[in-house]
Amino acid sequence: MARTRFPAEVLTPEGEVFSEEIEMLSTRTAVGSIGILAGHEPILAMLEPTELRLYRSETDIVRFAQAEGYLQFAENRALVLVEEAIAPEALDRATFETKLSEARTAAEQAEPDSEEKARAERDIRRYEAFLAVGS
Amino acid sequence: MASQRDVKNKIASVKNIQKITRAMEMVAAARLRRAEQRIEALRPYADALRRMTRQAAQAAGAEASRLPLLSEHENVEKVGLLLVTGDRGLAGGFNSQIVRAGVRISGELGEEGLKSEWYATGRRGVSSLSFRGYDLSGSYTGFADRPAYADARSIADDLIQAYIDGELDRVEMVYNSYVSPLTQKVTHERLLPISQATITGEEEGEDSEEGEQSGPKALVDYEPDPEEILKRLVPDYVEISIYRALVESTAGFFGAQMTAMRSASENAGEIITDYTLQMNRARQAEITQEIMEVVAGAEGLS
Repeated sequence: MARTRFPAEVLTPEGEVFSEEIEMLSTRTAVGSIGILAGHEPILAMLEPTELRLYRSETDIVRFAQAEGYLQFAENRALVLVEEAIAPEALDRATFETKLSEARTAAEQAEPDSEEKARAERDIRRYEAFLAVGS
Repeated sequence: MASQRDVKNKIASVKNIQKITRAMEMVAAARLRRAEQRIEALRPYADALRRMTRQAAQAAGAEASRLPLLSEHENVEKVGLLLVTGDRGLAGGFNSQIVRAGVRISGELGEEGLKSEWYATGRRGVSSLSFRGYDLSGSYTGFADRPAYADARSIADDLIQAYIDGELDRVEMVYNSYVSPLTQKVTHERLLPISQATITGEEEGEDSEEGEQSGPKALVDYEPDPEEILKRLVPDYVEISIYRALVESTAGFFGAQMTAMRSASENAGEIITDYTLQMNRARQAEITQEIMEVVAGAEGLS
């Protein structure tokens, strides 16, 4: 059964990557996974790196590997702001594998509780999420 | 007077230079268009981020002022100066006006008894600051032609860290903002601490929008709490400010280079005209000389 559609926009600092009417949006916030349907109550959420899914219909799904960002749903419009959004087919696994191992080394070398450590761990989470989408 | 051949050689070399400056002008024009598109692409994201930051800050209320990046240091002693320049020259006064403005600001800070810590992006700024004998606390090069968001983030991370650790008590940024292909404006902005007014204050022209949003705002769900969201939004706000400066500076650089190369090509054209005139005179003089010799020879025979 077709669901009610609502406009959704995905923006990155490098430009708009998606702007269409969709039936459902699914992503992951700092608290947990979230699915947004038309008429959802207004929300402002902080997003973790994960796979962003935009359902044009039950079977037609647009997927992106997303970095950290924010999701705002207000007045029946969804707005996703993410630092990076990469289509799975454009995702270069080799690059991110190198980056992941670099980040792991950095995390090991950094002092505990330091800003570098936190930064490296954030990078690890991001690259792991990207690679999970690409596989 | 230079002989005909000398002048001819000069013309040939000026023509070669003109070819190069013309090519550089066209390359700069093409890159300028791309850089302009990136400014356009960034705008909706930056605006949306600012709106969200304001919304979260209002929801967080008094909690917001406790965030380290929003609170002023009591004793201001050291000011971080971030100068945004290009990696290359041949763009008129583009880089030097930034360095000059930076040095002037540092002088003014010095009069107030404040110490400047230098940070620079772009090879030109880095090299001219070190040439003038300033110690750089941070230098970032190699991306001025095409800055990525990650570049802005690494700069922001360093500055934020220094601010939180108390190594810097204020951070200011000097860059060329992009007005039009012909004009870049030297812009001086405060990055840290972010003034409460920037985030919570209502900006002109957005009041109507603010009004629309105030209705459902009370019912908005926050995941996690607004304070937690704000903790990440605020550094992002700094990152986006730096990124915007980098992107604008890139567009400004190509604009300045295009203008500089256009006038260089025009100057080359003028020089070629002058030299051509000179060459024709030299040729005419040689011909006159020869005729006089022929006439004198004929007269001698008769």
